[in-house]
Amino acid sequence: MGSAEEDYNFVFKVVLIGESGVGKTNLLSRFTRNEFNHDSRTTIGVEFSTRTILVGDAVVKAQIWDTAGLERYRAITSAYYRGAVGALVVFDITKHQTYDVVDRWLKELYDHAEASIVVMLVGNKTDLAQAREVPMEEAKMFADNNGLLFVETSALDSTNVEQAFETILKEIFHKVQKQKQRSSQGNTVSLASESPESTTLAQTEKRPCCVAL
Amino acid sequence: SIQHVYGAQHPPFDPLLHGTLIKPGSKPPTTPVKLKKVSTFQEFESNTSDAWDLGDDDDELLAIAAENLNTEVVMETAHKVIQNHSKLQEQHKFQEEHLQEEKQVESAELTSVDNRLVKSVSEGHTSSSSDNASESSSMQRSQSLPQTSTPPLVSGMGDCNTSVTPALTEREASRLDKFKQLLAGPNTDLEELRKLSWSGIPKRVRPSAWKLLSGYLPANVDRRESTLQRKRKEYFAFVEQYYDSRNDENHQDTYRQIHIDIPRMSPEVLRLQPKVTEIFERILFIWAIRHPASGYVQGINDLVTPFFVVFVCEYIEEEEVENFDVSSLPEEVLQNIEADSYWCMSKLLDGIQDNYTFAQPGIQKKVKMLEELVSRIDEQVHRHLDQHEVKYLQFAFRWMNNLLMREVPLQCTIRLWDTYQ
Repeated sequence: MGSAEEDYNFVFKVVLIGESGVGKTNLLSRFTRNEFNHDSRTTIGVEFSTRTILVGDAVVKAQIWDTAGLERYRAITSAYYRGAVGALVVFDITKHQTYDVVDRWLKELYDHAEASIVVMLVGNKTDLAQAREVPMEEAKMFADNNGLLFVETSALDSTNVEQAFETILKEIFHKVQKQKQRSSQGNTVSLASESPESTTLAQTEKRPCCVAL
Repeated sequence: SIQHVYGAQHPPFDPLLHGTLIKPGSKPPTTPVKLKKVSTFQEFESNTSDAWDLGDDDDELLAIAAENLNTEVVMETAHKVIQNHSKLQEQHKFQEEHLQEEKQVESAELTSVDNRLVKSVSEGHTSSSSDNASESSSMQRSQSLPQTSTPPLVSGMGDCNTSVTPALTEREASRLDKFKQLLAGPNTDLEELRKLSWSGIPKRVRPSAWKLLSGYLPANVDRRESTLQRKRKEYFAFVEQYYDSRNDENHQDTYRQIHIDIPRMSPEVLRLQPKVTEIFERILFIWAIRHPASGYVQGINDLVTPFFVVFVCEYIEEEEVENFDVSSLPEEVLQNIEADSYWCMSKLLDGIQDNYTFAQPGIQKKVKMLEELVSRIDEQVHRHLDQHEVKYLQFAFRWMNNLLMREVPLQCTIRLWDTYQ
């Protein structure tokens, strides 16, 4: 890691969840490495990447956890939700079945993560518009009704990928700022009312502020 | 069953020294099967030391191991990766317009880091395993790499190739003879075969040895051919009986998952031509249907590959190896390979089914064992991981779930499996 990498004000842990094959791994590689792989291997368990971006004048390091979509891994992947401040729930706009189960993914998420987690619904694969099975309005309405951010993306042609991650990171940032104003905790910021002791992602003097749930 | 060699080179677990790991009142962590049978480390070491015999056709693998254990090389490689990473970070500022360039730089650098490892593999080969093939197969290995090259047809099939090296060393020849004698029957002593296989099975006899060791073929030589015929028939009867149900409501999820996973396997040695894809789909679907307790779980698909590749080697001539097209094999041969792969994979999975049942207890147990092992043999590493809140499950889950298929070159996996059977 270069030293520039170490200079950040916040670490935000964000999880990518959703059915197998909707494109979670490619969304992540598009965002962190600007790469797309037509036959990227199935994710086994969890893998993660980071990218540091500027939000306002704060340097935010996004630590994004890419989880396996397969049902059998749930017992193990759910442990990875711990400490996440954001989640992208991804579905494939060309496969209605992957949208139908978004409810189940949300339940899974709220069962294991803090209630204050920022959640974004992501309809991926807009490059396959001719095969669309989920109308954008429908997904948008669902997101509005459930208090989720919403965006449609294409990891293949890059549409909105940057924007999706930036939006959720900004939203988390604003939540953190608000919390900071209200809280007198000084440097350690938590989105949750109760802050568990051990989930702080990074704690050194060099790093001005860490976020934990 | 799997024979554990964990900790073969390290002192046994001492609860007094590792009080921190065991909570008071809890039972000491389970030790590997092999350890239970021996009372001292010396005994254990002598029991397992033959796995590292020098001079066999393991030379290439030992070369890899040696390279890997060489601190200088490790540090150098680590340094390169870091350099490469920093460079990439800088490059990312340029984004779109330099994308292509960047990919090339990255793959070139990563390949050169990787190449050391792959090259040492091909050194064991006489000539035909070209560096080109090794390079592209090495690029297939890491999923984060951009796939800029077309994989060779069956490049890694060079694995079968060493057996036809003109000059087998005397020792190799005598080992091959020993295997041949054992395999010739009339009743193969499986324990003896297992013992002999511990330090590696010569490529030429590997297909038969695997089939015997897995319990697929009977020890009695006269019954083997009829067993093969019967089992192959039985498998295709399953196909007949179940395969049409793949689009039924209760099975379509299983089939859909298998269907989307196979193109995403990108095994390093096989180009997934439609014919190969179909074979893998059938094997996996039939297995899943017949094992409802676990069903199909990602990772199981990777376990077909070693069997398939080893059994293909049974049917091809040395000069075909380099650019071999699996689908050019006669239909009947392909069917034999398919059925044999199915049965041997089933036998392997029988022993590790709890890896894939709900909550995957087998994997969790193995990851715990790994944690115990690391804490014992390299406390510094263990403490470091702990300090940074890195959980073993986060990095070792895939190792166990895919039996290292994603982590080491296929040749090494195949060699390891010689000891699993």
